Amino acid sequence: MCSINDRSRDIGEYIPAPDDDMVICRCEEVTKGEIRRAVHAGLFTITEIRRYLRAGMGLCQGQTCARLVKGIVAAELGSVPAELEPASSRAPMRPIEMEVFGNERIG
Amino acid sequence: MKRYDLIIVGAGPSGLSAAVEAAKRGMRVIVFDENDKPGGQLFKQIHKFFGSKEHRAKIRGFRIGEDLLKEAAEFGVKVVLNATVIGIYPQKEVTVRIEGVVEHYKGDAIIAASGASENMVTFDGWTLPGVIGAGAAQTMMNIHGVKPGRKILMLGSGNVGLVVSFQLMQCGCEVAALVDAAPRVGGYGVHAAKVARTGVPFYLSHTIVKAEGEDHVTGVTIAEVDDKFQFIPGTEKHFEVDTICLAVGLSPMSQLLKMAGCEMEDNPRRGGQVPVCDEKGRTSVAGIFAAGDVSGIEEASSAMIEGRIAGIAAAEYLGYMDSGESEQAIKEQEEALEGLRQGMFAPQNRGKHIETTDEGIQISESLLKKGYIGDDEIERYPGVRHTVGIHPVMECTQNIPCNPCQDACPKGCISIGQNITSLPIAVEGTECVGCGMCVASCSGQAIFLVDEQIEEGYASVTMPYEFLPLPETGTKGKGLGRDGSPVCDAEVIKVQTAKAFDQTHLLTIKVPEDMAMKARFFTF
Repeated sequence: MCSINDRSRDIGEYIPAPDDDMVICRCEEVTKGEIRRAVHAGLFTITEIRRYLRAGMGLCQGQTCARLVKGIVAAELGSVPAELEPASSRAPMRPIEMEVFGNERIG
Repeated sequence: MKRYDLIIVGAGPSGLSAAVEAAKRGMRVIVFDENDKPGGQLFKQIHKFFGSKEHRAKIRGFRIGEDLLKEAAEFGVKVVLNATVIGIYPQKEVTVRIEGVVEHYKGDAIIAASGASENMVTFDGWTLPGVIGAGAAQTMMNIHGVKPGRKILMLGSGNVGLVVSFQLMQCGCEVAALVDAAPRVGGYGVHAAKVARTGVPFYLSHTIVKAEGEDHVTGVTIAEVDDKFQFIPGTEKHFEVDTICLAVGLSPMSQLLKMAGCEMEDNPRRGGQVPVCDEKGRTSVAGIFAAGDVSGIEEASSAMIEGRIAGIAAAEYLGYMDSGESEQAIKEQEEALEGLRQGMFAPQNRGKHIETTDEGIQISESLLKKGYIGDDEIERYPGVRHTVGIHPVMECTQNIPCNPCQDACPKGCISIGQNITSLPIAVEGTECVGCGMCVASCSGQAIFLVDEQIEEGYASVTMPYEFLPLPETGTKGKGLGRDGSPVCDAEVIKVQTAKAFDQTHLLTIKVPEDMAMKARFFTF
C-alpha cells in the first residue's frame, strides 16, 4: 500500500483555522473546514472525500475545485498533491440531462 | 455506429493542426468540439504571436485560427461543433453528445486535444460575482464583445495575466493593479513593459487578502507576502474595483484519457494530471494520442506543432505513411518545436531565476519587479544605440524565441542572427529610412523609432499604438515614461496606419530632446 494511504499513520489533531468557513466546492457548498475535518476522520483519498462530502460531485464535476480539494487534503496529510491518487474518471465527462443520457443512438 | 479513421477531441490549435496533417495523408478525420465556435483559445488571441516565420510570428492569433480552419476544410476534415465527447470506451468507441442525442462513433485512432481549464485560488470572498478567470475575461471581450468590468485587478503576472491586462485596457477597462505572489514577473518582459508604460502599477510578492462586497465585488485588499507566502501585517493596500481577474495557471483536462485507460502521471511541471506520452504524442494505449495543453501546459504555437506531430504519428500508425516518410515529417516539426522551446522561458528553465542574458548582459531587476526597465538600465542592451537621424531602438532585453524584426527591416538595420533567442542588435553602418515596419512587426511592442533631434531642442519618438480613440496629428498630451508616469508635454506629429502594419498604428510624438530615450507612451 502506498504510504500516503496508510491509516495507521498519525497525522495529528485537527486544528481549527480562521479560513475553515471558506467555501471550496461551490456547487455542493463544501467548506475548507469540512474537508480538513474529513481527513482527520480518516478519509485520505479524493474518492472517499467525494463520496463523503460530495465535493467535486456537483454541476461542474470538480472543474473548479478538484485542484483546490487535492491541495487541502495533501496539506492535511503533510504531503504534496502529486502524491495523491486522482479521482476516477468516468462517463459522462460533462454534466448531461438524464433525458439526453438515455437517448442513445448506437446504430 | 459511424466509423472514422481518426477521431479528434477538441478543435483548438492542436486538434485542428493534427486533423490537417492526418487528412493530408488521406485519412477520414472527424473533430468534435463542445463549443459553438471552432478554434479553441486561438480566437481570443487578438495579439500578434511570437516566434519565427515558420511559427507564424507577428500574425494575430485569431487569424492563425482562421487559416487553420480553412486548411482543415480544404483537406476534407469534418468539424462538428456543440458536440461534447462524454466518454472513450475500449476498442476506441467514443460517445458524443450532439444536441439531444448521445451518438456512438468508432475511430481506428483517437487524438485527445481537449486543452486545459483555468485554475482558481481561494481568498476571503473568492466566490463573489466579479471574481473571474482571465480566460473568461478574454472570452467576454474578444468573443462576445462584452466588457468584463470597469475597473479590474489582475492576479498573476505570467503571459496570460500580462496579455489579458493589456487587452482589458484595449477594450476600455481600467486595470488598477497587477499583482503576483511570486517575487518576479513570470511572463515576457516585453509584455510587462507594454502594460507598465500605460501606468498600471505592479505589485510583486503581493497577493489578495480579501475581495469585498455584499453581492458583487466592490473592492479588494492585497498585502505583501514573505518568502514563505505568509502575509506581512501592515502592508495592506486597498483598491476600489468591480472585477478581479485570476490568471494563476491552467490544468490539463485529461480525464477522457484516464477513462480510456491511458497511463497517467501527476506532473507539476506539466500543470497537473497528464497522460504519459512519448515525443510523438503516443499514450500507453496503442492508437490513442495526446497533443496540446492536455499533455502539458504550454502555449498555442507549440500546441499547433504538437498537433501536427500527433497527426503524422496517427497516419503512420494506421499505415497511411511509411515509417521513413513519417520520421522525416516529424523531424521537421520537432525542429520547429525545438526553436520555440529555447531561451530563458523554455520549459526546462521554468521557475529558475536567470540573472544574465546569453550575451552576458544583466537582466533588468526593475523589469522583473516593477514591469519596466529603468532609464539607467536601458543603455546596456545591444538594440539601444544613438545615431544622428531616425533609427530603431529595440527594448528587447530577454532571450525569447522571436525574430520578425530582423526580416521586417528592408535596410538590414536589425540583426538577431541564426539563434532565434538572441537579443536584436542595431547594426552599425546601416541607414534607417523610418518606414516603421519593425515597430509594427514586433509582437512585444518593444521597438521605437527615435530621432534624437528633429529641430533645435526637440526629438521625435514613434511608438506602436493599439488603443482607441486614435489621436490625430496635432493632438497635445503627455509623454509617459517606461514606468507610466508623465515625463513631458508631447504633441502628435504623425499617425500612420497601413495594411502592412496589421492594425498596429504608428504614433509619432514630438518631445523635448532630453526625453528621446525616456518617453515611451502617449496619453491625452
